[in-house]
Amino acid sequence: MGGWEYYLIVLLVYLGTDLLAAWGLNLEFGVTGVANLAYIVTIAAGAYTYAICTLGPPAATGNFQQYVGGFYLPFPVAVLAGVLAGAVVGILIGLTGLKRLRQDYQAIAMLVVSLMAATVVMADTPFLNGNAGLGLIPAPFSDQDPEIQRWLYVGIVAVACVVGYLLLRRFTTGPIGRTLRAVRDDEYAAAAIGKDIVVLRLVVQAAGGALGGASGALLAAFIGGWSPGAWAYVETLALLTAVIVGGMGSDRGVSIGTFVIAILVLQGVQFLPQISFRIGLREDLGWIVLGTVTILFIWFRPQGILPERRPKYGGSS
Amino acid sequence: MQLLIEAIGFGIASGAVIALGAVGFSVQFGMSNVLNITYGSLMTLGAYIGLVLTDRGVNVWISLAIAGVVVGAVSVGFHRWLLAPLVRRGTRAFAIVIVTVSAGVVLQYVIVAFAGPDAKSYGEQSGQTFYLLGVVLTASQVAIIVLAAVLMLGLHLLLTRTTLGRAMRATASNRVLAQSCGIATDRISDIAWMLSGMLCGAAGVALAITTVSFDFTLGPIFLIPMIAAAVLGGIGQPYGAMLGGLVVGIASELAAAYTNPAYREVVAFGILVVMLLVRPNGLFGAAWATRRLMA
Repeated sequence: MGGWEYYLIVLLVYLGTDLLAAWGLNLEFGVTGVANLAYIVTIAAGAYTYAICTLGPPAATGNFQQYVGGFYLPFPVAVLAGVLAGAVVGILIGLTGLKRLRQDYQAIAMLVVSLMAATVVMADTPFLNGNAGLGLIPAPFSDQDPEIQRWLYVGIVAVACVVGYLLLRRFTTGPIGRTLRAVRDDEYAAAAIGKDIVVLRLVVQAAGGALGGASGALLAAFIGGWSPGAWAYVETLALLTAVIVGGMGSDRGVSIGTFVIAILVLQGVQFLPQISFRIGLREDLGWIVLGTVTILFIWFRPQGILPERRPKYGGSS
Repeated sequence: MQLLIEAIGFGIASGAVIALGAVGFSVQFGMSNVLNITYGSLMTLGAYIGLVLTDRGVNVWISLAIAGVVVGAVSVGFHRWLLAPLVRRGTRAFAIVIVTVSAGVVLQYVIVAFAGPDAKSYGEQSGQTFYLLGVVLTASQVAIIVLAAVLMLGLHLLLTRTTLGRAMRATASNRVLAQSCGIATDRISDIAWMLSGMLCGAAGVALAITTVSFDFTLGPIFLIPMIAAAVLGGIGQPYGAMLGGLVVGIASELAAAYTNPAYREVVAFGILVVMLLVRPNGLFGAAWATRRLMA
């Protein structure tokens, strides 16, 4: 298998998992208006859950890494467990967002939740192996030829994306979608006509979290490892940039935004000529570009590349 | 008992630094009603400016002053050319938070690109130590506590005894009214952001002096205790922020002394989340000062 073919597979898996995550974040942030800066925690929940469900008990590998639980569940069950964990964490995060706070206070509270989760996981080694993270996470079809196995995995991610997109469309189109946008645009008016804001928000948090959990589980199975470095709070910023660049609230827009940010920008910087001898400079550059792009879009084109289509209603206005 | 006293002593030392930063943060917020997350990275910038200067043999306290002025100027520019125009256009509050988070990330990685990711240090500070009520504090820790106290007193006098201070308070409490009284509110904003930026830069250098070594995550890590202190004392209220700084500092050191040291930050995180959710007006709420900040 050539290096380029392998790279293509990596890109496809990254794109698929990033799409799932960006859709989930868009559902929460773009469609419902919850500025969830802790979104990455749902992805981490999915990844860790998948790892624990497939690694088996710690003693089976000679206790070289510590974690709670440990089972040998088949791949689909483990991914589902990850999805479920993402949904639960999503709801927990959502609970902090229920209080009628100023939007910016809410965003900060969520940012802190994200930092706090990372600090606790890093400090408490017996829980999820602390700073080192979990390794040797099994991937499916490991009995197959590596090349076939990798392409099969791309297929699984593609299937997950289709399922995820169908789930997303359930929430963004039709009556539910209109209700959610109403909650985002005028919470009080929506409540006044009898919409249960609390339940709606929590359902969306669960759905968004489930997408995040799926993304995390699929990513962890592909990479084979998962550590706190993979879910620093800046990772949420990357997804948020994808949502803002693509167009908040627009499913197709966010998909384009994810491609632009995750593939063109974050992978693109890898191909820059080596500027200095220091390793990691290009990754730093990636974050600089990412932050700058976010600011430029909020300044010049807050509606994104492909803006959300505003529904037109009949009648005089 | 000794553990308790030591924890409180260290708590006061770190609380002084937190208070420096928190007061600056509070002044910005009170003036512009913007939660400026970039503040953390500006602190890092201050610490690295201090590093460049001390490496060239400049005295550490002069470096602190210079870093303060530079960060103050950067902070004014950041507000005048980026945040203020966005606020004027009516950009939504969470979009502004995202802008400040992004700007913070950009600044942080620009610093890494130039200075590299490894830990830095200002080198050995003067070895003299002081024994106060059974607590051992280094000379620089004592100096920072004194410095913080002096700066707080200065800010207090500025805000209450001078025309400029009155104009600042007037602008913070009602911008339109202040403008119609003939106060040049844009210039007052600039001055407030200058002052808060100076406190921010000074806090960055002070933090770098007290922590033995630091890297580019210095500011962002420290930002949360600072916001926690500012919110605890009632956001936008400098005196509350001073008290909040001490409370957060002591609480964090107690947690570090009696549980896992890694939980030092978690205490501040917890205080902040609980305060934001339960009492976003601060511990003393409306009774402490005029409540004008809550939308």
